[in-house]
Amino acid sequence: MINFLFLVTLLIYLAAGIFQTLSLAIGNRSEASVIRPAIERLAFWCTIIGFAFLTVFIALWWLQQGHFPMTHWTDSTAFFAWAITLIYLVIVHLTHLRTLGSFVIPVAFIAILISYSFATHTAALPEPLQTYWLLAHTTLIFLAYAAFIAAFGFGLMYLISERKIRRKVDTLFDNLLPSLGISDELGYRCTILGVILLTMGVIVGSLWTQYIRDVPWRWLDAKVISTLVTWFIYVAQIGIRQFWGWHGRRAAYAAIIGFVAVLCTYVGVDLFLDSMHTYR
Amino acid sequence: MNHIVSIGTSHHVAPIEFRERLAFSEEQLIESLQHFRESDQVQEAAILSTCNRVEVYAILNSVRTTEAAAKVLVEFLSRCHRIDMESLKKWTYLHHNVETIRHLFRVTSSLDSMVVGESQILGQVKDAYDTSRSAGSTGTILNRLFTKAFSVGKRIRSETTITTGAVSISYAAVELAKKIFNTLEGKTVAIIGAGEMSELTAKHLVANGVSNVIVANRTYERAVNVAQKFDGIPLAYDSDLNFLIDADIVISSTNAPDYLIKRQPLAKIMRKRKHRYMFLIDIAVPRDIEPDVSKLDQAFLYNIDDLEAVVASNLQDRQQEATRAEQIVSEETKRFYDQLQIFQVNPTIKALHQQFREIADTELQACFYKATLSDQQEEAIASMAQAIVKKLLHHPMRNLRCAVNDGDADHGQYVQALQELFALDVNDENPE
Repeated sequence: MINFLFLVTLLIYLAAGIFQTLSLAIGNRSEASVIRPAIERLAFWCTIIGFAFLTVFIALWWLQQGHFPMTHWTDSTAFFAWAITLIYLVIVHLTHLRTLGSFVIPVAFIAILISYSFATHTAALPEPLQTYWLLAHTTLIFLAYAAFIAAFGFGLMYLISERKIRRKVDTLFDNLLPSLGISDELGYRCTILGVILLTMGVIVGSLWTQYIRDVPWRWLDAKVISTLVTWFIYVAQIGIRQFWGWHGRRAAYAAIIGFVAVLCTYVGVDLFLDSMHTYR
Repeated sequence: MNHIVSIGTSHHVAPIEFRERLAFSEEQLIESLQHFRESDQVQEAAILSTCNRVEVYAILNSVRTTEAAAKVLVEFLSRCHRIDMESLKKWTYLHHNVETIRHLFRVTSSLDSMVVGESQILGQVKDAYDTSRSAGSTGTILNRLFTKAFSVGKRIRSETTITTGAVSISYAAVELAKKIFNTLEGKTVAIIGAGEMSELTAKHLVANGVSNVIVANRTYERAVNVAQKFDGIPLAYDSDLNFLIDADIVISSTNAPDYLIKRQPLAKIMRKRKHRYMFLIDIAVPRDIEPDVSKLDQAFLYNIDDLEAVVASNLQDRQQEATRAEQIVSEETKRFYDQLQIFQVNPTIKALHQQFREIADTELQACFYKATLSDQQEEAIASMAQAIVKKLLHHPMRNLRCAVNDGDADHGQYVQALQELFALDVNDENPE
């Protein structure tokens, strides 16, 4: 039952990803002027329905496991996709920029695909980890990742529009991508949001380790180091922008570098290095 | 049968000298509409008079042939504007029935305009229709026709992209600016040199939200003159370019033989303005701005050729879209014409039914009066009478409807024959 629900979620996300990409790929070429809005609507509704299914899936999974599901790649990547979609929907609610979905929903789909391919695995969560600290710590970190991915999406949007404007190509006036100023500004705001969430997540995590679990603080934990590097990349980006006015293309590149750092922290560390954060 | 006719002239067929002679002043317009309302020949009329076209739409039903219908309108124009028939025939076009409908649909969709996709014409036709309607010269058919024309115009504007994309240099510049800045509110435009094109562009930018205008000129008096028009700040041109620190949009159009804005000095300025975006428009020939400027991170440079290329490509897009719009017009024309036919035949059918039923009723009353019949007998005879009426009307009605639906041109004659043979009194002004 729960597996079937997950399969349905996966397929809806696949549809959402395809429609999101398609609506951007068609652009507003004249022949498509009638169907494009329809595709865009379809993509958006698929995203909303997919999000609802995913939420139900995670809730059921939680009930079935008896604790917050955060032990295996299945749990982690499903939650990652959930966070990405949530942040996306919040941004759409605030800005009406659905086009962002063409960049972030495919990432969410890949996360769910990975999750689905591990779906039969479960692992017991050690007793000391079954606390709300874990919930708070991981939720904050994943929402931060999701905000960084949104910033990455805005960065890509910026680079595409900038390229169009510089190369003076004729599809210049399609109105799908926001202006450079808007992509830049929103990407920046997402970065700030991500840094705030990440900082909070790290603080919660370290307090938890230090005072509650009474485990010695391991500075050399790969995940911790990698997270701090990621954090530094984003903080430096904000600082340089504030003091030297670096924005636009450089900020967009920085968002992409940050995205790579997030992926390294999230996936790379687990695959190649040992850490107390490793998923089983 | 009704003839839907239109006569008109536009920039396609006539020079301005003729169009201005045919144009209606406001007084003439009201007078002419009044004249139509009182005329016996013309049932309904509407007049559209803009700087590019003058058109009269009319419904005539007292004339038999298309030629006669056309003649009524030609004579009207000739009398109204004192123009000889020869030039009228030479410089105007005449449309009849389907062609009138198609023409009006094309006009409101701006397919017949000088710049395809321009946005003014829909409003102009609406105004013309409102004037005609309040003068009381339109009726059921023209009301339907114009209402439909507006919806076709809207449909084409929403389903095709004929209205999108700037088709003038100054608008192209505005659209580009909107692609760069998150908003134009609070932005500053600097005009270097003077010229019609740069002033026009600045005007459009201001209309779209740009709030400050700086005008720099070698002669301070000229700068003052131009700045006055925009409530801007005049400056004597200074080659250190420091005034560009505050400028988000720069329009340059001087006669200088060399580059005024070069990469190195501008890089310094960009640093001083904290690398905020700068959109540079170089409409001077020879150019004022060194092309390498566009290699600076937040500087976007367009010269006159770039802008013209944008305009040309937008025009081409519109042309392509126009083909799709024409298909929509054809489709809507056919649908409207068919509906109109049925709508026009309906009163005749109704009148015929009514006449037959009335005759049957009168005869039944007479019959019941003469003979003493039981209720059951009366009922049987009454239903027999109804059945006879129904069966008698069955074939003529079916064939008439078929003729209409097949688009048979002769159905008008059928209707006329029916009306005359049965002495039907058909009221054309039947409510919807």
